[in-house]
Amino acid sequence: MTLLDFARGPALEWAAVIFVVGLFWRIGGLIFLARARPLSRNRRDDLWRGGWRMVWSRFVPNRVFRDRISLQFLAGWVWHVGFFVVLLMFEVHILFFEGLFGLSWPALPNTVILVAAAVTAGLLVMLLIRRATQPVLRAISGFDDYASVVVVLLPLLTGLASYAHLGLAYETMLALHLLSVALLLVWLPFSKLVHVITMLPSRYVMGVKFWRRGVEV
Amino acid sequence: MTEVVTKDELGEAFAMFYGMAAAIGDMVEPAPEMDDAERVQRAKDTFLHGLDGTFALQLDVCVHCGACAEACQFYIGTEDPAYVPVRKLDLMKRVYQRELSPLRWLHRLTTPEITADDLRAQQTLVYDACTMCGRCNLVCPSGINISEMVHLNREALAAAGLMPDELRFMDDGQAADGTIFGADADLFRFRIEDLEQRLGFAIPVDKESADVLLVTSGLDIHLFRDATGGAIETLTHMGIDYTLLSDAYEGANFGLLSGDVKVQKELTRKLTEAAIRIGAKVVIVPECGHSFPALRWGAAESVGKPVPFDVMTVSEYFGRAVMDGRLTLEPQKHEKPIALHDPCKVGRWGGVFDEPRAILKACGYDLHETDSSRTYNFCCGGGAGNFLIERADPLKRAGYRVKMNEIEKTGAESLVVSCGSCRMNFEVGKVKAGDTMPVESLAAVIAAHLPKTPKEAAE
Ligand code: SF4
Ligand code: SF4
Repeated sequence: MTLLDFARGPALEWAAVIFVVGLFWRIGGLIFLARARPLSRNRRDDLWRGGWRMVWSRFVPNRVFRDRISLQFLAGWVWHVGFFVVLLMFEVHILFFEGLFGLSWPALPNTVILVAAAVTAGLLVMLLIRRATQPVLRAISGFDDYASVVVVLLPLLTGLASYAHLGLAYETMLALHLLSVALLLVWLPFSKLVHVITMLPSRYVMGVKFWRRGVEV
Repeated sequence: MTEVVTKDELGEAFAMFYGMAAAIGDMVEPAPEMDDAERVQRAKDTFLHGLDGTFALQLDVCVHCGACAEACQFYIGTEDPAYVPVRKLDLMKRVYQRELSPLRWLHRLTTPEITADDLRAQQTLVYDACTMCGRCNLVCPSGINISEMVHLNREALAAAGLMPDELRFMDDGQAADGTIFGADADLFRFRIEDLEQRLGFAIPVDKESADVLLVTSGLDIHLFRDATGGAIETLTHMGIDYTLLSDAYEGANFGLLSGDVKVQKELTRKLTEAAIRIGAKVVIVPECGHSFPALRWGAAESVGKPVPFDVMTVSEYFGRAVMDGRLTLEPQKHEKPIALHDPCKVGRWGGVFDEPRAILKACGYDLHETDSSRTYNFCCGGGAGNFLIERADPLKRAGYRVKMNEIEKTGAESLVVSCGSCRMNFEVGKVKAGDTMPVESLAAVIAAHLPKTPKEAAE
């Protein structure tokens, strides 16, 4: 079995299994914990409206915070969008998903994907350096924080290298790309990357809490 | 309005009260002995008891982006990474990760147990350096409720016998006699008689039933008499069926501030049962920020069932009366603009924003809003009991500066607040910084704009 066979075969399959089981384990564990229910009267009903409102409103920082955190939010936005554009709109990826799920959709031109991948990777490197040097971020960062950036960065770098035929032989590069994807799948449920699932529910519960007290956020 | 306290009297009372607060450190008894293993166990038990699914979800979802630092007065004022809000949850997160997380089998390999020294180090973070104002909750992209989780930290430290001396002194005092700063029933009656003389009418105390129960606080009894006096004068003017009670007049709750849940519930239960006993439809809590959440969100919890009354702050009750046309105030010509401070526990945590503004408008004021106003308002810097913690002084000053800079930027020439401890913190902050902005009570402002009686008009 070649490295590529291993990567596109057992490595990805096992990673997918660990990804699914891990996610169920982590999210299920959170769902099954009991939740406190307040007895005091709400100041405002239709709590779901408060939750829903905050799920959306928190995508953009409020005016009063803009001077201090706009750049950081913008960088976060750009690389997240860039990452998903590359993941979901690159024709080779779409073919892969079609093979897997039988569904397909139109791709974006390769140059757009290339730019998105390069910008995303560049931003991630910058954010990694910022995390290691900016005093606040240094103070709150641990292994998970640094490792998660690297684990997201690897598929982008290996993907760019295989597309551009850089570095090692194409087949080896492709195998490394697939292995990095497998690593991402295995890493996600056990790291802070799980926020892709938990962040919006967390916003929702906070929005409900404020709304119940008559505060719109 | 009848002047219930002169400027000189207020100055004298302020100096006396400030001296009393500063002397707490000398008066406090040593903390009860407890061995370190027990401290750790009690803290862990408290964390695990309070950590429900919602808190667990939120502890799990932090992406360590650091945005919360940019909302917190203590970080902004000091630029010290030690005060980044999310760090205040680190200890609790360790307990969560080791004991409750779905991944605890993994975390136990990498996350150390908490120690008594960790708990001791946590004290300054969650008492001195956090007023549980909730501003960081407004910037966090994950919507994490940092401030309420800080409160759970206070509960854990209280259970471990590690609350700051000043708050332990207040908590023990309130556990013993229900009130603060020795404002016992005799002093309460004395103050009521004093107010009666100055206001010129009898104040209803200990009525067997009344629609409205008015609560005051030791701070107002000793110091801010204009706040309680203003509320009394306005209720009487409106012809409301109200009473104060000599067995339930204290709205302050140092159980809540210190993290002593038992005392918190007991104090709230006492007020709740008194309100039920007299058939009150509304309880008006004094101009004391935390007395509002203690009763508004704690009354039903304290008796284990919904309660038959509403809880409102002074600003909310009278503001609604103005908005509904039940209270007409007489606008006056105010040349100088004013600013308004929304106490965090009443505004951001209670939704009371429009009411004080309606009052100020009806009084004819030109209100200049701060850049961060209403929901996004900065804390005064001394909330949640930290205005009493002596060693927290540099932090309080930093928080005060952030707030006062915003107020000064509005061009306002005076400041209105409806919270005694915010007022106290502004007054102390002013003295220490050499600022001169006059700070007034909203209740006193209301009373000063009541329509004149025919007799007053003739005079
Ligand atoms: S609740 Fe307020 S004081 Fe506490 S960390 Fe958040 S912003 Fe800072
Ligand atoms: S803003 Fe929220 S997600 Fe970011 S570090 Fe603070 S608590 Fe964590």
